[in-house]
Amino acid sequence: MIKIKNVSMKFNLGIEKEFSIKQAFINLFTRKNKRKKETFWALKDVSFNVGKGEVVGLIGSNGAGKSTLLKVVSGVMKPTKGKVEVKGVISPMIELGAGFDGNLTARENIYLNGAILGYSKKFIDSKFDEIVEFSELRDFLEVPVKNFSSGMTAKLAFSIATVVNPEILIVDEILSVGDIKFQEKSKHKMMEMIKGGTTVLYVSHSLESIKDLCTKVVWLEHGKVIKMGETKKICEEYYKSQIG
Amino acid sequence: MTKVKAIFGNFKRYRFLMTQLISRDFKVKYKRSVLGILWSLLNPILTMTVMAVVFSQMFRFKVEGVNYIVYLMTGIIMFNYFSAASNAGMTSVVENFPLINKVYIPKYIFPIAKCLFVGIDFLLTLIPWLAIIALSYVGLGQYTCHFNWYFLILPYIFLCMFLFTVGMSLILSCLSVFLRDVWHIYGIVLTLWNYLTPVFYSIEILPAKLQTLMHFNPMYQFLTAARSIVLYAQRPSFTTMGILGLIGVGTLAIGAFIFRKNQDKFIYYI
Repeated sequence: MIKIKNVSMKFNLGIEKEFSIKQAFINLFTRKNKRKKETFWALKDVSFNVGKGEVVGLIGSNGAGKSTLLKVVSGVMKPTKGKVEVKGVISPMIELGAGFDGNLTARENIYLNGAILGYSKKFIDSKFDEIVEFSELRDFLEVPVKNFSSGMTAKLAFSIATVVNPEILIVDEILSVGDIKFQEKSKHKMMEMIKGGTTVLYVSHSLESIKDLCTKVVWLEHGKVIKMGETKKICEEYYKSQIG
Repeated sequence: MTKVKAIFGNFKRYRFLMTQLISRDFKVKYKRSVLGILWSLLNPILTMTVMAVVFSQMFRFKVEGVNYIVYLMTGIIMFNYFSAASNAGMTSVVENFPLINKVYIPKYIFPIAKCLFVGIDFLLTLIPWLAIIALSYVGLGQYTCHFNWYFLILPYIFLCMFLFTVGMSLILSCLSVFLRDVWHIYGIVLTLWNYLTPVFYSIEILPAKLQTLMHFNPMYQFLTAARSIVLYAQRPSFTTMGILGLIGVGTLAIGAFIFRKNQDKFIYYI
């Protein structure tokens, strides 16, 4: 269950310059004592709930704040204002293969990446074969990951991330991974996970897959919730506003 | 109380990640080297030999009444641990930004993992160090050192130094997120600190004023306590041991406090 209450997220765009001596020196001569604070609100007062077993889709154009919202929910960022309440273990699939070390072999990376995702050693031991089987990389277990093709790396990462049965799943468009055969397989796996009664927060630009999966849709634009509600209706309105 | 419990619960939960990070460091460090982990043993032996030759043969340094080689080595291994661990700990948070930006992980894990990783190297250097002490029985250096029961206090001293190092790493890694200049500044500070700590000289050669000031140098306290056991077979006073504990726990507490207060802001400075 996820409760998002009046969440706002502010970024300082000028933060890169904040401490530089060069900037201070320039300011000395330009007499601009008060630099304009360039702030950017990635999220403005966003509130909605995701009930247990609900599959909620997030739509909106690039830069609408979808990924930021996922990061706030998964705990990577703390919101500037508002509150996020999460009950249950989250499995964030925001970016696959976080923390892969190219110098380590596939086998070592399974353990490292698993640990980063919060798995225990026992759990990885018991699921090791399943991960390897799903990734179709048994022959490359002892090869350093830096020698993998990007498709192989993605396959491995996907297999590690989806081996759990999480209570809450956060997905940021990762269905299109690997070759056609693997794409079908991964899509099937995702469906299986989503339909297995987990709570899902799902970001995608593919309205087809949103319509397929989601029970509810939230439409974000410029950090604000434009509309939310029934999947089909919102998707159609969104499509019209973008194309028409 | 519940806060303390939560912290320890977190520790348990992320213990596996900690071991994975440490073992990754080891694997990457010795990738493609023929001797592999043996270097962790060989490196300190070779460094010690070089240092011993340079300081006792070329510069003819001496400390009255004690085995100079053991005096020097005790200083070197302890200070090197502090300098290597705090340096690695300092850069660890920034280096793991790509990870911090994607997955939620308690950020304090990175500096602690680095201090532990360098700590394993430190434990390995104790083997050649003990060998040197043993060799003093058969005439290495002028004086003989004696193994004694007070050696059992050494783990306590090392532990205090470890806590002090973790505390420093937390402070430095936190600072360097906001101000990357810290990396460069600390490099110079470490060099200065190395010379201001009696690693290869004795405090007696300093002017009286500096000698008093020296007591405020934590590394001097750690070194002196260890040396009094190894070289003089004397137990450090309880006051000294209390002070060591206070330095360790105190620095760790300050580091943890600063880190905790600022860790949520890290994400904006990536």
